[in-house]
Amino acid sequence: MTTFLTYTILGLVLGSVYSIAASGLVLTYNTSGIFNFAHGAQAMFGTFLYWHFTERWGWPVWLALIIVIGLVGPAMGAALHTAIMRGLRGTADVTKIIVTVAVLLGTVYLAQWVWSPDEAHTVDMFFGAGAKITVGGVVIRYHEIVCLVAAVAIAAGLRVLFTRSRVGVVMRGSVDDPDLLRLNGHDPERTAMLSWALGSTLAVLAGVLIVPISGGGLDANMLTLLVIDAFAAAMFGRLRSIPRTFAGAMVLGLAANYVLAYLPSAGTFTGNLRVSLPMILLFVVLVVLPQDRLRGAAIRTRERYRVPTVRAAAVWGAVLIAVVYLYSLLLSDGAVGTFALGMTFAIIALSLTVLTGYAGELNLAPLAFGAVATVVAFHAGVQGTGLASYMSIQGLLLGVAVAALVGGLVALPALRLRGLYLALATMAFGEFLSNMVLRDSAEHELFGFTFALFPDGSLVVPPLKVGPLDLRDGTAFLMTATVLFALIAVGLAALRGSGYGRRLAAMKDSPAATAMLGQNLVRLKLSVFMISAAIAGLGGVLMSSATGTVAEENFSFIGSLSLLMLVVVAGIGYISGALFGGLMAGVGATVLVATFGDLALENEGMATVYDALGHLVLVGTALVGMGVGRNPSGFVHDVIEGYRSMRRARPVLYGAGAFGAVLYVLALTGVIGTWTFALIALCAVMLLPVFGRMYLDEGRRDRPTPLELIGVDEPYTDELRARLDRELGLPALEKGGARA
Amino acid sequence: MPENNLPEDKILLETRGITVRFGGNTAVDNVGVTMAEGQITGLIGPNGAGKTTMFNTITGLQKPASGQVLLDGNDITGLSPAKRARRGMARTFQRLELFLSLSVRDNVRVAGDILRSTGRKRFDLNAETEKVLERTGLTDIADRDVSDIPIGRARVVEVARALMTSPRVLLLDEPASGQTESETEAFAEMLTGLAGEGLAICLVEHDLPLVMKLCSTIHVLDYGALIASGTPPEIRESPEVIAAYIGTEEASHG
Repeated sequence: MTTFLTYTILGLVLGSVYSIAASGLVLTYNTSGIFNFAHGAQAMFGTFLYWHFTERWGWPVWLALIIVIGLVGPAMGAALHTAIMRGLRGTADVTKIIVTVAVLLGTVYLAQWVWSPDEAHTVDMFFGAGAKITVGGVVIRYHEIVCLVAAVAIAAGLRVLFTRSRVGVVMRGSVDDPDLLRLNGHDPERTAMLSWALGSTLAVLAGVLIVPISGGGLDANMLTLLVIDAFAAAMFGRLRSIPRTFAGAMVLGLAANYVLAYLPSAGTFTGNLRVSLPMILLFVVLVVLPQDRLRGAAIRTRERYRVPTVRAAAVWGAVLIAVVYLYSLLLSDGAVGTFALGMTFAIIALSLTVLTGYAGELNLAPLAFGAVATVVAFHAGVQGTGLASYMSIQGLLLGVAVAALVGGLVALPALRLRGLYLALATMAFGEFLSNMVLRDSAEHELFGFTFALFPDGSLVVPPLKVGPLDLRDGTAFLMTATVLFALIAVGLAALRGSGYGRRLAAMKDSPAATAMLGQNLVRLKLSVFMISAAIAGLGGVLMSSATGTVAEENFSFIGSLSLLMLVVVAGIGYISGALFGGLMAGVGATVLVATFGDLALENEGMATVYDALGHLVLVGTALVGMGVGRNPSGFVHDVIEGYRSMRRARPVLYGAGAFGAVLYVLALTGVIGTWTFALIALCAVMLLPVFGRMYLDEGRRDRPTPLELIGVDEPYTDELRARLDRELGLPALEKGGARA
Repeated sequence: MPENNLPEDKILLETRGITVRFGGNTAVDNVGVTMAEGQITGLIGPNGAGKTTMFNTITGLQKPASGQVLLDGNDITGLSPAKRARRGMARTFQRLELFLSLSVRDNVRVAGDILRSTGRKRFDLNAETEKVLERTGLTDIADRDVSDIPIGRARVVEVARALMTSPRVLLLDEPASGQTESETEAFAEMLTGLAGEGLAICLVEHDLPLVMKLCSTIHVLDYGALIASGTPPEIRESPEVIAAYIGTEEASHG
């Protein structure tokens, strides 16, 4: 009985904190229509500040609390709204999600910069762990009482705010119809800002409360994900109802503690189950949610992509293979290996191009599908032992097939719902996989086989060997990965240009109209998700064997998010976007940080500067991600547009070619270093359109006359009149002036 | 007085007692309308009368609180929009729902892609696409991005896309708004031609002279209720309609 009571109390306390976090999420979602994936990161950042004030600076707890909860929380929310979220009204779901993901990553990077993950940070309970009362043999700490009281007060307060107060009613209206509110004399932006401030404060409060009751250790990644567990509670309330969110949070907290109390504690299973329980429940809730009504897409998305022809894709694929080969000649063996790893990430990134870029759906855990394929390929495809071991093609293909299958199973329940729910389902799956499968080192027995999914917590994945092709050679690995990337890219270009690709584009642009043409949307989404999961699986197995030994960290949720964000930043609709984004995610950031780290070591006087630069690169990528709302087509789009406009600038192109050749020879003969070469080449690629424009601008204008100036600043010519007619949709003038 | 629908016309689509509620508001209240093969039926009423809600209910985008939708005498109330489309229903949208990342031609062609992917019909996709483009007069802008053509032509693209599915019932939600006078004229001619081929066309439109000219039957909605059904002359003279809606309009148009 005492056990039951103890765990019930613990469950209610955990539920309280979930409830606080979840209601903040519901609040911002309802007033701004943005599902804030960065909610946990905000909690984490606030809690680190609290630690900094109380532990490092030794402030009294009450003062730190006033500053963190009364000042930092609201300020963080208001700033986020003003600087970023306000600009997202009227953008696609995908853009909104990516922007909050970028905020999440940026906050985590920033926290890891300020508070080194190598040091231990612990947060104590309020009034200390010893302050407690004992009721009927059950120990209740003061901190836990604070949690309970705060949760009940906040839930009740929000309920009253939403239903009784004028501000609350305005808040509820501001997502459905901001224009109507404006007409009635309200300012929807002010209420949205208020709700972001409030939501952020609740996140910070939840962070400060949850760390002591889950061990006291403060870790940027872990705390961010801990608060993400509250998503499941918010889903109980279907992101609308505060009372149901409260109830959901309690169920979640109790379930987690009963699992701990009553399931056998031997092995890692129970602990893992407890950790992944919120995600399992999130998934269950998704399954039972009623279907969404198809609405017309009232929003006009701003993404514009050029569609490559298969022939162009094939030519560029060949160019890529040639360039990579020439470049690999410059590299040391180690660098070739790093490059190959980046290329495998680029293959995983292609899975996002087809899913998000072509079909407009989101997968927040692409690496998880890579992990599924890796586990299967490891158990089914590793031949030989020791140094002679290799991965068979059958194992690889089986892994890819299972990844596609699992992808279909994961996506199916969420496909009848809006895009946000598919994103949440993939997130839940990714977390579940990380916690349950990739940490599962216990031995299982199934059909007489004894096996461990993840023996010793890591897998040694040997390279592929097919006939004479042996990927144990670094260059062979790099070139195989590159060729595979090019082949899939050509395949995707063909897909995009086919009837299937047009159907995907139609579904992305207007699900309602596509359904009205007879398209079964669930089937189409399911097929594209499976294709995407298969590509992610292939890339994942290659990534694992390029890494050599993989563990849970290699497939982490944060890693998936950063890959996704970088691909979106580069251009999710472009194959080259997948190449740049994948390379950046796989090795780019690592290489840059390591380079700055080396520079810091060599140059002790400048060490702090270089160190800071390394961190800045990481935070910088996230900052660019936050700007995605302004430039949703990605930077590759701008580069491509730049090159298109300079096709006529022949001399500039020839000059650039000659410059490149000279540079390459210099690098090959060792006059300049390989990194210098890469850096100069990259800058040249980026700057070339600028030179081209300067060349083209010389002597003539290439900008068309603004229409409103025709007849004013511009003489009225037949050519201009024809253009006006075209723009206005009038039939062309006959010779002599009569309209046809 | 003649019957509302001439007896020899085959009723293709019928709604019975459709009621739609949004929260506490009743947007459509117990509405029954019919659409006959080879005829153009008008659905008119002031803004907010429930015309688009009726379209959404007929096409399956909106579930009614009660009532039935019958196609060819079969109850299709429980079917998804896609299944209704495959049974021959097509529509356009008042707030345009074009596929903005596709060209005009591909907007039309994708309807054929969908038809082909279901495997029920084999046809020459390219030839069929060109035929529909030709018929709707879109050939000259077929290669342009659909996002930068004028709104009047964009509405025609929606019609062309719908025609690509070879529908039997065609629901048009304000197809003429944003069109120039000459465009409307050509458009009216096209609709008459389509009806001549046996299509049941339903027209939601604010251009009353156009509705009066084209439609053989007109249904009038006001505050979600059906206040009149009949031929254009009947509607013109109906005191309820004049009181609710047409009065001033009628005077100005004579």
